[in-house]
Amino acid sequence: MSDREQIMNRVRNATASRPRTEYPQWDSGIVHSRGIRDSVDHVGLFCQKFDAVGGKMVKAIADLPEMLKDAASKKGYIDPELLPLVRDVLTGFEIDTTFDRAKVDEYAFGITRAAAGIAESGSLLLTGGSTSSRMGALAPWIHIAILERAKIVPTIPDAIALFGSERNALFVTGPSKTADVEGILIKGVHGPGVQMCCLV
Amino acid sequence: MKSPQSIDRYADALPQSVRETVFEGTRVPTIWRREALARDYGDSDPLRKLAAQIKQHTLDHLDQYLEQAETRLRENGAEVLFANDAASANSMVTRLLRENGAKLVVKSKSMLTEELHLNPHLEENGIEVVETDLGEFIIQIDDDIPSHIIKPIVHKNRRDIAKSFQREGLGDYNDDPETITRRARKHLREKFLKADAGITGANFVSAESGRIVLVTNEGNARFCITAPRLHIVLVGIEKIVPHDRDFAVFLNLLARSGVGQQLTVYTQFINGPRMVGVPALAGSQSPGFETGSEEVSRASDPPKGGTPTDAPTTDGAEKMVVIFVDNGRSSILDSEYREVLRCIRCGACQNVCPVYRQASGHAYRTTYQGPIGAVLSPLLMKQDEFASLADLPKASSLCGACQEVCPVDIPIPDMLVRLRDRAFREGASQAKAGTPSMEPWAFLATRPKAWRGMMQAANLANLVPLNLMPVPPLMRWLGSRELPKFRGGEFRSWMKNRGDDTHHE
Amino acid sequence: MATCLCDAFYPQVAKATVEVLEHLGCEIEFPPDQTCCGQPAFNAGDWPASREVVRHAVDVFRGDKPVVVPSGSCSAMMFHGAPLEFEKEKDCAAIEAVGVRTWELTDYIVNGLGIEKWPGRFPHRVAFHTSCHSRGTKSGEAAMKLLSSIEGLELASFDDAEQCCGFGGAFSVTFPNISTKMGQLKLDNALKEKPDFLVSADMGCIMHIGGLVGREERPVKCLHIAEVLAEALKSGAIGSIARRSASQRLAPH
Repeated sequence: MSDREQIMNRVRNATASRPRTEYPQWDSGIVHSRGIRDSVDHVGLFCQKFDAVGGKMVKAIADLPEMLKDAASKKGYIDPELLPLVRDVLTGFEIDTTFDRAKVDEYAFGITRAAAGIAESGSLLLTGGSTSSRMGALAPWIHIAILERAKIVPTIPDAIALFGSERNALFVTGPSKTADVEGILIKGVHGPGVQMCCLV
Repeated sequence: MKSPQSIDRYADALPQSVRETVFEGTRVPTIWRREALARDYGDSDPLRKLAAQIKQHTLDHLDQYLEQAETRLRENGAEVLFANDAASANSMVTRLLRENGAKLVVKSKSMLTEELHLNPHLEENGIEVVETDLGEFIIQIDDDIPSHIIKPIVHKNRRDIAKSFQREGLGDYNDDPETITRRARKHLREKFLKADAGITGANFVSAESGRIVLVTNEGNARFCITAPRLHIVLVGIEKIVPHDRDFAVFLNLLARSGVGQQLTVYTQFINGPRMVGVPALAGSQSPGFETGSEEVSRASDPPKGGTPTDAPTTDGAEKMVVIFVDNGRSSILDSEYREVLRCIRCGACQNVCPVYRQASGHAYRTTYQGPIGAVLSPLLMKQDEFASLADLPKASSLCGACQEVCPVDIPIPDMLVRLRDRAFREGASQAKAGTPSMEPWAFLATRPKAWRGMMQAANLANLVPLNLMPVPPLMRWLGSRELPKFRGGEFRSWMKNRGDDTHHE
Repeated sequence: MATCLCDAFYPQVAKATVEVLEHLGCEIEFPPDQTCCGQPAFNAGDWPASREVVRHAVDVFRGDKPVVVPSGSCSAMMFHGAPLEFEKEKDCAAIEAVGVRTWELTDYIVNGLGIEKWPGRFPHRVAFHTSCHSRGTKSGEAAMKLLSSIEGLELASFDDAEQCCGFGGAFSVTFPNISTKMGQLKLDNALKEKPDFLVSADMGCIMHIGGLVGREERPVKCLHIAEVLAEALKSGAIGSIARRSASQRLAPH
């Protein structure tokens, strides 16, 4: 008997021999956090929470050069579909529209799309379908997510409901961090140390 | 003080610096947990009870949900395997790595793989494994074992880590936490990019969609599944939840319970290897992003009617294998301890446990430590090896703080006493060590006259220098505490002599 | 139920309990054949021995009157522990029948008899240790309610109050190092607030904490809450409430 058959047999016997409880129907309201219960301004709440989890909101595309002034270099990656949006603003920057793994340490920033935002947690939803390069969003020290205002949903259940047939979805809630060393918070472990978002 | 129990001896011998580090590292998240839950939910009990019910229901129908998850994952192009035990799982992983020519593997933190002792097995088979969670990486280079479910190095301080890094050739001695982290980032990034395969665990698996959830703060799991071409998931059969929407219940509890955060930084949902040509997320191609007449060149053209689901680069594993592991879980499922399989590995019970705070994780000698470990570890053992860990359930004052903080309401204290009953029946000697025999007491307590007589007679104890009596339990009490004066029979006479208007039989 | 600890070491607590209940108009019955609730063996894992003692207790307290105990752990043994170890036993129902009418003292006063305010004075600073067996019951809340209602009583809150004191029955001597450290931590936290008294509703906790206080000569006195309530009554020479039959207030948990 294969491992699978042995396991399934044991599991079947175990579940058959004891009472089976019903699935508890539940209303989304029970998981909603206080912020979203008290607020109707989803965009405002998103910005507030994004900031609260250590992210940096970019007020307008025009502000990008200022936000990137302390970046390690002027080299970055961008989703080719977003290039027209920033081309005039990021003059003087060297931007690739294909992520070159050989240059992974040279990219100071990556600009990609977020598929949605979650107001109650200040999270970005990145998906395979909307992220032109996963490495572009993950590897550079600075990640800038371009997010359409209309795509901000109120709650986590709302975001989960967007998954559809997407094979790879990701909530990003602030910059990468760890508190492994004596509980001291350090940003930028493996993911971006700076997480930005620009609403369009 | 000399002690009959190994966990107590370990606690006694713990260096003060370790005790302080562990104490702060568990006390602070306990406070954050309470604050985070109160802030958003006021009374979080309804949410905890709901989570418990969802998990219990899933366990009660596990056969159904397991098969459903398996089907979904296969539909999405993932290979699904099952492993009976550690030996089976480990050889399966080795075989997969060999078949795929993988020599270097990056690993995301997985307590299951610790339980299976996967790393030593892979290394014996000539495969280089690199732990990528900062805490696990440090554990690995120190040849140590984790001492907490979510904070593996809660027992180490910055000086320990700095020495380890220096020894590993990661730079001169530097105990600045930021420097340590930057060095780890640089070193591990190279590994991510060179690795042939990524191995992760899974926090949850949805039966409805097959989606695997991976939560981290660091981003290492993200790298493990984005950079290498092969992704292997090892997950316990009990990690299933019925639907995607149920994720919202557990995600809202997991990070708050463990570290007081609403969500961890990265919450990944994956149910298949990368694929080109499937329609993208509904609505992601909105007019706002049409770039007008700009011709944008890409490495591959999108198929008609949609965008590729994954970037036209080599990002994301081309092959995904999910291995569901039993390793004793089905036996627990088939027992009165089924509820312990609800555990979502948040670490809240370890943080609040006063015994864990004094002893630290390594005192328990096992992968899973603290309250959850005291139940799970003996139960995961084979029948005849239970006795070797039967002392773990004794290392508790049964205070119940663990159950109070458990996001899935596992009745840990009840399980601990049940395990004590089992240990007693099986004559487990390690569990018994130091426990006074109950027979003399039971003899007297079922014979009221003898009991009353004993109460009177024992007043003689007040005339005896108790600290010289060679009665071990007494000696262990008197080692640090006074005993009150014996006053047996006093209340009884008072009650009897109280006056005629006091009713008594 | 007087408890074995009061029987052996703390007669004044059992006396105070009787006085307090009589003040509230209760008719007290003290079945003299009572011994122990069975908890020590239950916790140790010797369930056969424990069950024998529980059977004896159930026989002693047969009837329908509420069984009131000045101990959270003993009452929890009767209504939670005993049913657990009798799950597979034929006489489980008889055991449960006594459990449902067993009350911890402060729970009985507040929720059984409906008392919200305690008369008299106790002009001292008090740190209250909420024993672990009050988790999941209304006892902790009841005790706090009574204490905070007493004139002159200053209730001091302290850090990590929810952490166990380290007694745990046999745990105190099987894991003596951990038990002692837990108790010392409890004392350190409570004494930071400079209370005159450390009060608890459980004799086990008091024996352990009090034992440390004695050995380490710490500047505090330990009292059972029944003693505080009785003392408050004496301070104002309060008359007792009109007699009422305690059995009128039977309510299952």
